[in-house]
Amino acid sequence: MANSLTRFWGQGSLQKHVVQTGLRGFSSQQNPEVEEEEEFRVLSLRTVKQQFQKRREVKKDPVTPPRSNRMAVDQDWTAAWPGPRSFHPASVPLPLRQGFTERGAAAPSKFANAELMKIPNFLHLTPPAIRQQCEALKKFCTPWPKGLETEAKWQRHFPVEVITTDYLQALPTIRNPEARRVTVSLKLSDLKFDAHARDKFLRLVGDRYDKDTDILTFVTDRCPLRKQNYDYALYLLTACYHESFVTEPWEATKSEADMEVYLFGRNKSKLSAEEILNWNAAEGAPKVEPSPSYGQSVEQLINEGENEYNLTKYKEEVKKMLNIASQ
Amino acid sequence: MYLSRHLRLLPKANIARSLNGGGVHYTTASSAAPAEDSPIQIPNRIQRSPTDLLQALAGTVGRDSTAPHYKYHDDPFLIPMSNAAKRTYAMSKESGRKAAQWIKEEHRDLFLHHEAQPAIEKFAPSMVFTEDSQVDETSLSQLISQGELKDAVLVYSLLEKKGVAISSDLKQSLLELVCFYNNEDPLPEEWIEERWFLQNNRRRERSGKTWKDGDLAEKLYSEIEPKTPESYAALIRGMAKYLQGERAFALLQEAAEKRIQLDTNTYNSIIQIVSLLKDTAEQRWQLCTDLLQEMSQQKLRPNIGTLNAVLECISTFGNFKLARTAALKVLPEFKQLGVNPSLGTYYYLLIIFCRERGPVSHIIVDILNDIGGKELSIVHPKDTYFFATAMDVCRNHLHDKSLAKKVDALLHTGKNYDLIGDSFKESIYYRNFLALLCQTETIEDFMQTYDQLVPNIYIPEPGIMEEILRAVEINGAVEHVPRIWSDMVVFDHTHRESLLLYVLRIMVNNKPSTDSPAHQQLPEQCAKVALDMYEKVEEAVKRLRKVSFTGQMLGDILTLLVRGDNFEKATEVFAHIDKNQHRIPGTPSETALQEFVEASIQNKSPSQALTALQYAVDNNMESSTLARRIHNGFTLNETHLAKLKSLVGESFLEK
Repeated sequence: MANSLTRFWGQGSLQKHVVQTGLRGFSSQQNPEVEEEEEFRVLSLRTVKQQFQKRREVKKDPVTPPRSNRMAVDQDWTAAWPGPRSFHPASVPLPLRQGFTERGAAAPSKFANAELMKIPNFLHLTPPAIRQQCEALKKFCTPWPKGLETEAKWQRHFPVEVITTDYLQALPTIRNPEARRVTVSLKLSDLKFDAHARDKFLRLVGDRYDKDTDILTFVTDRCPLRKQNYDYALYLLTACYHESFVTEPWEATKSEADMEVYLFGRNKSKLSAEEILNWNAAEGAPKVEPSPSYGQSVEQLINEGENEYNLTKYKEEVKKMLNIASQ
Repeated sequence: MYLSRHLRLLPKANIARSLNGGGVHYTTASSAAPAEDSPIQIPNRIQRSPTDLLQALAGTVGRDSTAPHYKYHDDPFLIPMSNAAKRTYAMSKESGRKAAQWIKEEHRDLFLHHEAQPAIEKFAPSMVFTEDSQVDETSLSQLISQGELKDAVLVYSLLEKKGVAISSDLKQSLLELVCFYNNEDPLPEEWIEERWFLQNNRRRERSGKTWKDGDLAEKLYSEIEPKTPESYAALIRGMAKYLQGERAFALLQEAAEKRIQLDTNTYNSIIQIVSLLKDTAEQRWQLCTDLLQEMSQQKLRPNIGTLNAVLECISTFGNFKLARTAALKVLPEFKQLGVNPSLGTYYYLLIIFCRERGPVSHIIVDILNDIGGKELSIVHPKDTYFFATAMDVCRNHLHDKSLAKKVDALLHTGKNYDLIGDSFKESIYYRNFLALLCQTETIEDFMQTYDQLVPNIYIPEPGIMEEILRAVEINGAVEHVPRIWSDMVVFDHTHRESLLLYVLRIMVNNKPSTDSPAHQQLPEQCAKVALDMYEKVEEAVKRLRKVSFTGQMLGDILTLLVRGDNFEKATEVFAHIDKNQHRIPGTPSETALQEFVEASIQNKSPSQALTALQYAVDNNMESSTLARRIHNGFTLNETHLAKLKSLVGESFLEK
């Protein structure tokens, strides 16, 4: 190309003399160089020393083959992988494969496989490892107490459960605010009440009592320390229990509208039944009371609602009370 | 985050007490309790410390011989494979920690937050004391209790400048600190790796006196008036520790004249340096007994330090007989006093009894009977010298394999491995152990031990590698050579000519028999080893390393390549031999050439065979048999025949 360029300028020199000389000089100087290597010439205004020093070859130490090659078949795996650790292909002598490839191809091998490193592995919890650790911990264990073999037994001796939680975390602080929480639970049937006390106790504890399981649970977290919360939970239990046996004067003012259930004894239907039973009775004669089973059936009918069973039961009781012979 | 949930059951009695407090029974329900059956028995809790469980779990973990020490990364690229690499990797990890420490100190204003609860003092930036900082006695006493020598000395000088009176108790504790460290900042304790690799440097320093005469310690001492026994003790111990023997002894005598009651450890420190005070064995023993007499007059009870100091003194006796009798006299006496010997005591006994030019002593057998199978703990600084010395005695003094194994078993009992000392002593221990085993055990048993120890616990030095190769050669166990060669490459032993020649000789002299299935792969493997070696040496020549080819070496490589059916490479190697005839000292052996010619016959390449013949003729080697073989092996064309004739004449046609 350079040759053709000079040729072109040579032809053009016939027309432009002035330009020709300068250009010719330029091209004839550059000619041999350009012919040797066709590189893009850069206009360098400042002369910079070019440093084309060859980089020294860095001698690399030979890398040893993965140590899983040298592992014996009967090696002690618990020594090779003693604790939780992310997967490392050179230390695990298993031909593992994991990951997605196109259909038909084998899954990627264990080397340089991020999929295997991502998932948690349980290589440190092999059955022999667990067995060894259990053996090592046995010397800290006491035998199960005598006389507490069944659940029924220990539940009778130890009716109250106290649950607390310890936290271990990778933080500069060893404290965790959640650790103060204390849960105290017990079966309500282990406490002894009368009808009023039970009613009042359940009103006091509210939804801390689970009706289905008969379990009462106090969760306390308002104090900063666990010990304080524990004491507070026991205090709550004790206070509620004692309070439930106290009958305040205003409790007597409970009107019918305040009743949560229908009670036969307090209501008009008892009076009406009495009236019917004592119809035309002589003055001063002993009053006839409706039978308790009648009262029950009325209570059931109103408390549980009308259904076939309750209605039939009520019918039977009314017939019995009024001495109407059944057909 | 881990969490553990605790379920605690409260016994009935506990809860009943709080609910029935005051003796009032509210219960209207039937109060007949269910019939109590057999009383319950709850066993007592087994007491344990906070770390007992962790230690029990850690006790289940054995040592995996294929894995590196846990301070290194378990990754092929990062597992150190030479002693230098081990040191470099461990130290660089620690220097990272140092850099972090430095940043913490340099930018202390950025690390003022205290997140940790409870606060960790070590993480807080340390106090900086300058010429104009406000100090008082409490800050000095705090610095002394922290062992900050430099700052303590600075604060002391500041206090002095201000003219603050310092109580003599505080002066005494500063004196003790300064004497203990000889007024030099010690290596901080947290640089574990530095300590592990340091010991072999310090050994050189330890020969001469390092005590700083007329320094702060003596100034402090002179300021304490009246002199207390403690101040004498501190200064004497400091001088004795840093080998200022004369003055320490003079001080001791001064104290004796003033009837000042010193303590046992001060006498121990003087007994330790008796060898500096007196020259001959008799004089030393005399002084030693005098000092012990003095102790008994002052009603001082000797301890383990006294026993070891006396034995150290005895171990410096040149007179073997005196040393022996003295040691035998000392031991029962201390036993009577109820001083139990430590590992350091046994170390001194070993160096007293098992001397290089002395008679053979079997004292180590008794020692091992005494402590075999026991879990030991450190009681004296010299305890860490025992194992390396014991193994040295097993190898060089008694040459007894079973004893060495007993020592090794003791080392691996319980936590005894903590007593190995440092990297230097550990490598001495294993050097002696491996050298002894490779001389006394069968090669199969030895290779099992070798596999367990090398390279993660111990990397053999070239000298030990030579011993191992010798054992392999004696047993003709050529099947182990590829394994050992790959180790040698990794440990960078490939530029030792003697080792290279050894490997080649073993492989050439023990031609593997192709009949047995175990040897089926061997010729090929040997050829690979030879080729690898050829390339390594060629590279080494370019890099101007010491090693270079000899004719013998190249001949062996040639033979191995031929045997491994790698004719192509063999021709290349032979071309190298032929081309550089004048540069390579020596010639290949004749058998090597013969085997090469045989191979070229098999591969039907007469020109190679003729080159070999020409080489033989040029170097004045036996050529007629070669020529005959070539003539019989090939059907040569005219040019080749002519060449053959021109090389050896007509003689090969005769037969």
